[in-house]
Amino acid sequence: MIEFDVNGEPVAAPETDETLVEVLRDRLGLCGTKLVCGGGVCGACTVHLDGVPVLACLTPTTAAEGRSVTTIEGVGAPLHPIQRAFAAFDALQCGYCTPGFVMAAIGFYDDWRARHGTKRPPRDEIAAALAGNLCRCGAHEAILAAVAAACADDPAIDEPPVRVDALDKVTGRAVFTTDVRLDGMLEGVVVRSPIAHAHLHGLDLDPARALGAVAVDLRRDDPTLRYVGDPIAAVAAPTRREAEDAAAAIGVHLEARPAALVPGADPPVFPDRRSRKRAANASEGPLRPARWRGNVRGPVATSFPPFVARTRIRRTDPARLHGGTFVTASQTHTPLEPHATVARWEGNRLTVWTSTQAVDAVRTELARHLNLDPSQVRVVAEHVGGGFGSKLSMDDTVLAAVELARIARLPVRVVMDRQEELTVGGHRPAVHLDVALAVDDGHLDAITLDAASETGAAINSPVGAIPFFMYGGAPRSMHDWDLLSHHPPGKPFRGPGGPPSLWAVEQVVDDVALSLGVDPIELRRRWDGNPKRRALYDEARALDLWRERPREPGSGRFRRGVGVAAGNWAYFVDPDARIGLEVREGVLRATSSVQEIGTGTRTVIARALAGEFHGAPIEVVIGDSELPYGPMSAGSRTATSVGPAAVAAAEHLRALAAERLAVDLGGPVVAEVDGIRHAGELLPWPDVLPRLEGLSTQATRPGDAGGFLSPFTMLHTRLGRGSSGAVHVVEVEVDTLLGRIRVVRCWAGISAGRMWSPITARSQVEGAVIQGIGYALYEERVLDPASGRTLTANLEDYRIPGIADVPEIEVSFNEEGWEHVPGGGVGIGEVATLPVAAAIGNAVRAATGWRPRRLPIRPEHVVEGVGR
Amino acid sequence: MTLHRPSTLDEALAAAGTPRAGGTDLGERRRAGRHRGPVVDLLGIPDLDDLRIDDGGARLGALVTLDRLATHPELARRYGALTAAVGALATPQVRRMATLGGSLLQATRCWYARAGVSCHRTGGDTCPARDGDHRFHVIFDLGPCAAPHPSTTAMALLVYEATVEVAGGEDRTVAELLGDGTDPTRGDTLGTGELVTGVRLGPTDPGEATAYLRATSRLLAEWPLVECAVRLRLDGGRIAAAAVAAGAVAPIPLRLGAVEARLVDGPPDPDRLEAAAAAAADGAAPLPQTGYKVELLRRTVLATLRRAVGLPD
Ligand SMILES: Cc1cc2nc3c(=O)[nH]c(=O)nc-3n(C[C@H](O)[C@H](O)[C@H](O)COP(=O)(O)OP(=O)(O)OC[C@H]3O[C@@H](n4cnc5c(N)ncnc54)[C@H](O)[C@@H]3O)c2cc1C
Ligand code: FES
Ligand code: FES
Repeated sequence: MIEFDVNGEPVAAPETDETLVEVLRDRLGLCGTKLVCGGGVCGACTVHLDGVPVLACLTPTTAAEGRSVTTIEGVGAPLHPIQRAFAAFDALQCGYCTPGFVMAAIGFYDDWRARHGTKRPPRDEIAAALAGNLCRCGAHEAILAAVAAACADDPAIDEPPVRVDALDKVTGRAVFTTDVRLDGMLEGVVVRSPIAHAHLHGLDLDPARALGAVAVDLRRDDPTLRYVGDPIAAVAAPTRREAEDAAAAIGVHLEARPAALVPGADPPVFPDRRSRKRAANASEGPLRPARWRGNVRGPVATSFPPFVARTRIRRTDPARLHGGTFVTASQTHTPLEPHATVARWEGNRLTVWTSTQAVDAVRTELARHLNLDPSQVRVVAEHVGGGFGSKLSMDDTVLAAVELARIARLPVRVVMDRQEELTVGGHRPAVHLDVALAVDDGHLDAITLDAASETGAAINSPVGAIPFFMYGGAPRSMHDWDLLSHHPPGKPFRGPGGPPSLWAVEQVVDDVALSLGVDPIELRRRWDGNPKRRALYDEARALDLWRERPREPGSGRFRRGVGVAAGNWAYFVDPDARIGLEVREGVLRATSSVQEIGTGTRTVIARALAGEFHGAPIEVVIGDSELPYGPMSAGSRTATSVGPAAVAAAEHLRALAAERLAVDLGGPVVAEVDGIRHAGELLPWPDVLPRLEGLSTQATRPGDAGGFLSPFTMLHTRLGRGSSGAVHVVEVEVDTLLGRIRVVRCWAGISAGRMWSPITARSQVEGAVIQGIGYALYEERVLDPASGRTLTANLEDYRIPGIADVPEIEVSFNEEGWEHVPGGGVGIGEVATLPVAAAIGNAVRAATGWRPRRLPIRPEHVVEGVGR
Repeated sequence: MTLHRPSTLDEALAAAGTPRAGGTDLGERRRAGRHRGPVVDLLGIPDLDDLRIDDGGARLGALVTLDRLATHPELARRYGALTAAVGALATPQVRRMATLGGSLLQATRCWYARAGVSCHRTGGDTCPARDGDHRFHVIFDLGPCAAPHPSTTAMALLVYEATVEVAGGEDRTVAELLGDGTDPTRGDTLGTGELVTGVRLGPTDPGEATAYLRATSRLLAEWPLVECAVRLRLDGGRIAAAAVAAGAVAPIPLRLGAVEARLVDGPPDPDRLEAAAAAAADGAAPLPQTGYKVELLRRTVLATLRRAVGLPD
């Protein structure tokens, strides 16, 4: 046995070549330490070995012998200043990276304090120390501030946290699906197609069973395998290793078929009408009908007025035409918590813990799939480690875990590893775009956009919609094409279609401004009819960042430039969203099936209630399909759906409280936000609630003043009136010698009305900016052209932004224009990421005179594009 | 029993299995299922983490961690290109765990080998990167495998003409340890039953001009597109001796003799450095997708030379 201490307690682990993370998570049940990349890249598994941060995923247990290991569970009593600072500064979103960041930051704190006392550490030193930790939500800006404040004993670290689950996340107590451990639970793995296109002739599961494993066929009704990674079977055993060994023993009889490995080329992925039903939907919206020609599907045309724009573009004098071809790369969601599910059957009742953005929708989908009544299926997601659009439906891990658990008669957990996550977890399709703008005397005469999306085994990539609604005055025509292939299916990704379309259109608008000699913000202000965005343009134009920008490209090695871009997003709402409210042990307890994926949903509900019940202790219980119906976290609808529902429930509960107390206390009683007014006295809510034990109600999200834009509710969705806007101003520094682009500053102006929770909303915008930087500069899924395998299947080759790549971000919310919406505001998660890449492109153009057309803008492109 | 835990060097030499030091490379390959079979844990062998340094040179034990190398003030004073290079690689946590020996002997990071595609490294007899996507691969095409050698440390040690101590075999230079790049199945020449016990460095002159730089898309924690280490001895306004090495461009780290030749005996001024750096890619034969590395190598060498002699970035 190998003996060492964990959090002060002696432990003994067997002499195997296990690493510390298995010992901690699987043997000791210390699940605060996360396993994300398993390869030393992400730092989510950071623990201390004799006080020094190391990676549990690569530390051999032997290296711990005779030493002491400290995990996140071992530092929290009392809270470490770093933990307090993370909570106070909202330095976290989904929280999956948080324990690793906290452990690494404590290492830095100890070191810094020993060397410099309470001097405030500079940003780049903190970044260097935390460069081994990745955060996909983009909490970096607040992390940098939190660490600096903690080191400097800044009293701000003791501000009470706004995010209601912050303390659970900074202490590692928050339980994610990957952390659910049930008695007798087996570990499942999915066997996936090794080739891009094949017919599955047969499956011999017996060898796996002979090893004592449970195995199921996942392709009983569809023997065609359409991409590398397409699920074939699933296997479960007591440990993941045993499951992997058993999976390797399965006999898979495949007949390889010719594969379409060039998007749009033959052979067709879905050759007939029946098979087309199996195509995944790359958007969050309903399927839009279109013609199929082999692997080319389209165009989905949105034109207004019909025929005008294209004719005009054709007839316009080339001197007045602006445009060109732009290309984007495919961006992988890679949430740090992978797709994961635990399934447990009790008779014909099923409970599923799953990492999802759509608790209720997964329940409905699963019940339908299993032919069960929805009441027999329960879906739970207490904490979700990010999603970004990749976790909107019932995925492979759900199907595998449910089937395995049924046969095993034991709970089964299926967790994707990072290679699976980066292969089949989801991606934003790469797009080829052709844009043309006809401009006459400074007016936009017509705009056309042709967008061809590499959707893999999916359809319906919506790219044209964003610019269609943005420069609304001019005739316009947008054509969307899907280029299918035998590659993993595209999925909706934060603002589907928006970033690529704006990458093209907003750079062309910039070109127009340059050629007309007009301020690019002024030109947008003129063309963009939206009054809410106009306010942002005015604000942006007044910024020092904008006014003092260099007007001409620079000439030295490092050149700075400032660029601007705008974006818009539709206002979606779930009018069915409900909030339950109950008084329990003196606490106001709100309930909903809605899930928390890091966007601050718990906090939105809590703050909405806090505004109606001043001083009352509040508890928010969500992420369980048994609770009142809640919306999915998609389409930026969550806050604006649950916030007003919470207020409505609160108002009703106050009325009920007044009724009950009128009886109890006798005489007239008025319920106000501050408490109960009775006999000339105000009884504050904390004092009153204990008398209201058991009082409960539920309320649905009230409608908007003046109604919604869409006439009826489809799939729990309504389109509301007004569109949200973003205007981003970005400063870059381009190293023209070695090609690296650094984003130095970003001002993010958002017009989406009042924020239910400004602090967590700010965090979301910062994260949206950082993901946009990844999209602009680093992220690119690469597939092997010969086999269709994903080459960027680890977090070194798939590059997400690191903490040293994050600019100073200033977020500005413009609150006007949403008075018709209860609460006065709408969602921001998507609109805030849309214009980032385009703004960076424009800034690079401003700095260097070179216009990038291809994403990501890598060093080799800069070296080639910009002279020395 | 798949884990051997020898407590002496002799036991370790006699044990059958793959040596493991910090485990940051081997551990990842094992977790991903690309490495199986018995492991010989080196951590229990005494004295392999000794670090000695004086006027006569330095001896760095094989188990010395990269973090210790990178943050050692005396080592930084005398072997600045090495400490700068080591301090720039991987992440703080990895550097605390990874060892000198492991960093020299780590496996290829080619994304084909890592994706489990059959290739020279995984028992096959082709290099799928050649017909596939090889944007991060070599421009000096020395052998059938097109992947660049991963070791930053080895590249930096080249400019110090280090000797690698091998137990169970002959000591050898770093270049000899890594071979000539023609064997596509492996990145080193270490035989079974051989272990690296340490690295010896000769003395340096006080005031040598050194620097290390890498070209990357993100600022930190990213594998280099191209990297360069420089060590110059300046004497009365002239470059008396020059050692320039480059990584991520060939199946082995390279000394750039043509650059060195153009530097020696010249003044360390911008023109001379520019002229020397222009020769950095002499003899390169890029693959279809690695053409950009030719210019990037020249520029990286130039930037590193300038930094070494204290010219502004
Ligand atoms: C995110 C990330 C970025 C990285 N970036 C870089 C980079 O830029 N440059 C770079 O050079 N590296 C980089 N690395 C790789 C890192 O440097 C190596 O993983 C590390 O140096 C290996 O050292 P180790 O002690 O952990 O080796 P191990 O994993 O223990 O061993 C590695 C190999 O060496 C063999 N070995 C180890 N010690 C001996 C010995 N004494 N004798 C004989 N054989 C031995 C082992 O058998 C094994 O095959 C990066 C790693 C990560 C995770
Ligand atoms: S899980 Fe250990 S570094 Fe990513
Ligand atoms: S908060 Fe960092 S990954 Fe979600």
